[in-house]
Amino acid sequence: MVNAHKRVVITGMGVASPIGNGLAELSEQVFAGVSGIKKIDAPFVEQLSCKLAAQANFDPAAHFSKHTYSMLDRTSQMALHTSIEAVKHAGLSVNEALQPRMGVYLGTGMGGASSVEEGYVRLFKDGASRLKPFTVLMSMNNAAASAIALEFQITGPNQTFSTACSSSAVAIGEAARLIRHGYADVMLAGGAEALLTFGTIKAWEALRTLADEDQIDVSRSCKPFSLNRSGLVLGEGAAMLVLESLEHAQARGATIYAELSGYGSANDSDHITQPSVKGQSATMQAALSDADLPPQAIEYINAHGTGTVMNDITETNAIKQVFGEHAYKLSVSSTKGAHGHLMGAAGALEAVITLLALNSNTLPPTINLAQPDPACDLDYVPNTAKTLPSLDCVMSNSFAFGGTGAALIFKKLSLK
Amino acid sequence: MTAPSNTTPSLEEISTVLAKMIADKMEIDVATITPTSNLTELGLDSLDTFDIIFNAEDHFKIKVPNDQVNIETLQDVTALVHKLTLSQQS
Repeated sequence: MVNAHKRVVITGMGVASPIGNGLAELSEQVFAGVSGIKKIDAPFVEQLSCKLAAQANFDPAAHFSKHTYSMLDRTSQMALHTSIEAVKHAGLSVNEALQPRMGVYLGTGMGGASSVEEGYVRLFKDGASRLKPFTVLMSMNNAAASAIALEFQITGPNQTFSTACSSSAVAIGEAARLIRHGYADVMLAGGAEALLTFGTIKAWEALRTLADEDQIDVSRSCKPFSLNRSGLVLGEGAAMLVLESLEHAQARGATIYAELSGYGSANDSDHITQPSVKGQSATMQAALSDADLPPQAIEYINAHGTGTVMNDITETNAIKQVFGEHAYKLSVSSTKGAHGHLMGAAGALEAVITLLALNSNTLPPTINLAQPDPACDLDYVPNTAKTLPSLDCVMSNSFAFGGTGAALIFKKLSLK
Repeated sequence: MTAPSNTTPSLEEISTVLAKMIADKMEIDVATITPTSNLTELGLDSLDTFDIIFNAEDHFKIKVPNDQVNIETLQDVTALVHKLTLSQQS
């Protein structure tokens, strides 16, 4: 990063996603092009027009005591679990010396959505006169970040970012800035989202942005960059990363998965839902400037790629604007056809997938790309993963309703 | 857990129900809970106690006033619930 005080590296990751819990399962499924999208397993499914979702196979009872999980919304449960996994993966000992120098930055779009809805049902539908004592504590957007701090007794900066679909990418980027400027040595950063409630899905239906059910195979309903794409599929999950200053990671002999070399954020400021080439290109350009890299350095972009007509063309055009001729040399893929749109957790899950790509020299495919769209004419790694002789520098894009974009650039660590 | 009856429950019945609620919430053996068990020593913090009171309100169809939630032992909660069932269920 330009003006860097400290370099920031990734030393651990934890995930709970519709295509796997844990890095090994996620890696196997995302490169194989497995889809986690299916008919929603919920009692209200027949009341929905769009009956699809990408649900995480996450059972809180498998990880926590009843006393712990019953006081946490599903969002916080997944955030806490993946944080514990990330710290384990990092081989990090969170001791008394580290606790004041370690914090949590977490992104979530709707926080404790199911706790909010449960309270409303109890109050407005069932006619109850009072709500459960934990309703506020389970619903509040910062509940997940708080639960993580309590678990590890870490007293460094603890903040929650809510910029819709870019929330967790923003959280990761801002956490990197904290470490870079010396406010923390280690940060748990990422996001969590569990909004597959009846009310939330109904609200999304009304936006007319959800994918139509594929008539042959519902798991293939989300089709980023394909001419026959019809929208996004809602998903849930969490991904947390351990960010660390290079010197701290080296001092403890940590395995380093990448350097987070650039973060950029910009706003569309054109329309609350319609993405703009202006905002998206400014986001990517800001990340390149932050990393002090020319566009030609980027070899792969994990696209926001929602599978909506509007996003996929806009993002393609923004990539062309930023990268020029190089846009046709680099590869772009969207993994949302497999894991759906995790909203506030999307940026973090896709950052993890981008890091898996970097560490295996393999690009995850854009699945369900059956019909090329003339307006989307880049290399989207269609349907099958692609292994390269080498891979050094990658970008992960996140854009959002409300306009906030975030781009993260990861590089293999070079000590030259 | 037994369904609430139309008659006012006895102290013993209330104590049994509350002990089971505490045991379920804290995932501890109900046999380890005695009337003099201190709730803090059983692992309950103030929020856990509010939750037990909330469940007791549902079960016994009572309302616990805010100024009466300072309780330390199982027999404190039992006595409080008993008092309120007598006054509020009648």
